[in-house]
Amino acid sequence: MKIINNTALATALTTSILFADSLPSGVPASVMKLDVAKVCNPKTQSLKSIIALAEKYNPVAIKLGVEFKRLGIANSIYVKETKKAIKSGYKVTILHYKKKGKAKTKKMDTSKAAWRACTFAIRSLQQKEEAGKTYRMAIPGDGFKY
Amino acid sequence: MIKKFISLIAAVSLSTLLLNAGDYNKQAEKDRVALKEYFAKKFANPLKNRGEYFPYATDKELKEGILPVKNSEDFRLGTYAFNKIGKEQYEELNEMAPYLDDIDEGEELYNGSSAIKKCFPNPAIAGEYPMFKDGKVITLTAAINQCLKKAGKKSWGWKKGKIAKLEAYFANKTKEAGKKVNIKINSQKAMEAYERGKKEYYSQRGYLKLSCANCHVQGSGQRVRKEYLHTLYGATTHFPVYRLKWQGLGTLERRIEGCEKDEGENPHKPSSPWVAEMIYFMAYMSNGLPVDGPDLRK
Repeated sequence: MKIINNTALATALTTSILFADSLPSGVPASVMKLDVAKVCNPKTQSLKSIIALAEKYNPVAIKLGVEFKRLGIANSIYVKETKKAIKSGYKVTILHYKKKGKAKTKKMDTSKAAWRACTFAIRSLQQKEEAGKTYRMAIPGDGFKY
Repeated sequence: MIKKFISLIAAVSLSTLLLNAGDYNKQAEKDRVALKEYFAKKFANPLKNRGEYFPYATDKELKEGILPVKNSEDFRLGTYAFNKIGKEQYEELNEMAPYLDDIDEGEELYNGSSAIKKCFPNPAIAGEYPMFKDGKVITLTAAINQCLKKAGKKSWGWKKGKIAKLEAYFANKTKEAGKKVNIKINSQKAMEAYERGKKEYYSQRGYLKLSCANCHVQGSGQRVRKEYLHTLYGATTHFPVYRLKWQGLGTLERRIEGCEKDEGENPHKPSSPWVAEMIYFMAYMSNGLPVDGPDLRK
């Protein structure tokens, strides 16, 4: 219970620090400098550092309503389950999730799961910032010319 | 003299106020007209417009599959405004429309609840929602649930079941009364909510980096497997819809949840302001089109 409380406190603290450093869109300025091809690469980075980035940024993505979800698995599931697998030293991550109310599992190589969790967390935020600058280009009568 | 001066000041103030009230939807109206013109041009002659709008379509598809749309009001039919084969299937299925029982059940729900009758004395109100009230956007689904809550009853959810059936009854009554979509933006806050909805609609999201507009503005008329993507113009006029995929009736909130999933994003709650503002923008884009719900979609 104490561990859970400490984790929740740490996440809340990190999130509030990130929000203090945020751009007008709510996206932390620090995330815009990251290159997912480098910082989320399991060949050059440790899995611990990769999942730490995912753990740092995914709560912000959730708060801003831009969390990624692939085939019924939200990124928060990737983060949670991959962290568990890394801690236990498992090479395979078992993702437990629910689809249409039914409990399901999916197995995935831990390094791939860490890469996905990290990439999804960072890109969701970078994309929100980028979208704020590009959306007008798609509006007929505004930026979209045809 | 003083009296005349006061009257003059009052008249000037009143006209300024009225002018400002009319100004709140100025940008929205500009957006709506531009959108309507875009689709009118795009679908006026699909074969002739191949280079600009349908680069991947085959000759056969453009000659036989995608019909020219002569009347913009037809966009209320969604993809069936231009999808020839789809429209034939739609018309056949609608001969024994699967949502007819739902309308009857919606009527029973309406007549069986004094609370709902009190909140909605005129059931022909589907074209007026969402509306901006008490500082936020209220969708029809939200208004019904608020009404139930106010009467001390349990709300009905946001996506299907009773809520969709009652909305089907409201939509049908609105259609029978010959009413049109009539969304109002009459304050600064309402305008800001509209702008937020618009921004989200056109923003790329999810791991697939798709915006709603990718499919339903620029992508409308493109084929995804065997289905043609419908247009944003007219997208809200026919809700709630009976979808063959759902094997039942669903609200616009339910449909938007599906779209977000398709974009690769964890969907917002159907009761969230995000969804309400998105619907506000979408519904405004259909202003002036006849209310056409409930209807059938694949």
